[in-house]
Amino acid sequence: MNAILNIKVKILSRKEVAPNIYLMRLKAPEIAQEALPGQFIHIKCSSDNYPLLRRPLSIHRIDREKGEIYILFQVVGEGTKLLSQRIVGDDLDIMGPIGNGFNIYPESRKIVIIGGGIGVAPLLALCEESIRQGNEVRVLIGAQKKELVIGEENFRKLGAKVDVATNDGSYKYKGLVTDLLERIIKEGWLADQIFACGPKLKLKKIVEVSLDAHINCQVSLEERMACGIGACLGCVCKVKTKDKKEDKVKYEFKKVCVDGPIFEGSEVIWDD
Amino acid sequence: MIDKTCLKVEIAGIKLKNPVMTASGTFGYGQEYTPFVNLNRLGAIILKGITLKPKRGNPPPRVIETPSGMLNAIGLQNVGVEVLIKEKLPYFKKFNTPVIINISGDTIEEYVELTQRLGEVSVEMGVAGLEVNISCPNIKKGGMVWGTDAKATYKIVSSIRKVTTLPLIVKLTPNVTDIKIIAQAAEEAGANALSLINTLVGMAVDIDSRKPKLANISGGLSGPAVKPVALWLVWQVFQTVNIPIIGIGGIIKVDDALEFIIAGARAIEIGTANFVNPRVTIEIIEGIEKYLVENNIKDINELVGSMKI
Repeated sequence: MNAILNIKVKILSRKEVAPNIYLMRLKAPEIAQEALPGQFIHIKCSSDNYPLLRRPLSIHRIDREKGEIYILFQVVGEGTKLLSQRIVGDDLDIMGPIGNGFNIYPESRKIVIIGGGIGVAPLLALCEESIRQGNEVRVLIGAQKKELVIGEENFRKLGAKVDVATNDGSYKYKGLVTDLLERIIKEGWLADQIFACGPKLKLKKIVEVSLDAHINCQVSLEERMACGIGACLGCVCKVKTKDKKEDKVKYEFKKVCVDGPIFEGSEVIWDD
Repeated sequence: MIDKTCLKVEIAGIKLKNPVMTASGTFGYGQEYTPFVNLNRLGAIILKGITLKPKRGNPPPRVIETPSGMLNAIGLQNVGVEVLIKEKLPYFKKFNTPVIINISGDTIEEYVELTQRLGEVSVEMGVAGLEVNISCPNIKKGGMVWGTDAKATYKIVSSIRKVTTLPLIVKLTPNVTDIKIIAQAAEEAGANALSLINTLVGMAVDIDSRKPKLANISGGLSGPAVKPVALWLVWQVFQTVNIPIIGIGGIIKVDDALEFIIAGARAIEIGTANFVNPRVTIEIIEGIEKYLVENNIKDINELVGSMKI
């Protein structure tokens, strides 16, 4: 993992792309150079101390040539609300790039990328990299309703085949994004790898479906976070451990920030 | 105006370049912060709390933000003393900053064994001192917290004192009726310094699910929200004991640190602020120096407990 930087970066553009969902472009050449799909930046949203803690947000797109990164986020609380109100030209205090990033196997040929809701945030950079490495990519997007389907065209422009599911049927397939996954597996389009980001319950189901089909599945997890650099042990998730003698409970807590945020679906324990 | 000032302080016999230390649990095992901080510039480093055996810690969510602060319930997740000695302490050999180890346990026996083990390696590994966390529950006494009872505080501190010559800093909990009695008990039992405050017990509720926001239900409150409480307790303890005090609680900028020093703290620990600004320790050291120079104070020790009333 590269060294984590703490720098001030300029906001180049800001746009509300769907109700309460914002896309921001940042001038951050040092981070754009090093960042990997799946990594995140830790942002000081306020200019004073309320809210106090930083907010971890996935890197949505990486433009190495222009030295720019994008973040895509939903306003869910005070921190993201303040961030959404920052204006073009403002300096943002960020730390990054943080985390392990998705692991695209060199031998992979076919990849499925699944995003639920705002979970599409880290997946555009991943899609771009997967295609760059010569993979055939299918993207499955799930959202509650039509207005909340984000990035469909952007994935398509990169060359991916995109399918969409909405819970209320207001756009494309009516149902769950996991139905789409089951369908393409049934149709015999077998991916070498599946990557997913979204709500926990959805990830759990995606991992089940993937493992049933014997396909490697990596998921991007999120958790309440404080330091973002592996020091406070606040943002842990439950992960299976290999058998150790005298260790009856076979799990440990791993840090989402620096051990993740990408985990092998097969090692995550979802029971909580 | 003077052009030079002295930032050196002595705590429990440990000589510090300046009064700024890192609070246990907020600075990991030190290495996590090296991209941002030159560890040689710190007064001292206090490591993540250690226990005799490794601890898994509490289930998530473990942290939640609250107005001007945060609640945490990490549950003392740590690698255990043997891994600390083998894998974490050697890293500090290349730095000249004193390393203080924060220790915890469920029983007196655990504290004693842990102290003895760290005593054995203290010279080789450069352990400058111990900070004793007495905010853990006393398992044998039905989970009552050691540090909330003067007799239990005396018992645990004197038991540790008997088995070590290492400098002992006792970290006090604010969740008590009268902190002065606990502070006195720790001093009488042989503590060389006191650090305060540990976190205040608190809770947050999710009104949609009607569940506690922390899986552990309760957690420890830290951050700027606790600073006035911490200052008041430091001031009270300062008037009560003769050993040095380390002030902790919501220090996020230089003015906060100076408030603690004026109220009687000879050194300070920075905790939650590290999460917000990873370079905060260095900024506060520089800020203290600037304040002393601007106010014609030649030695920081002159400022300690100089509150005018």
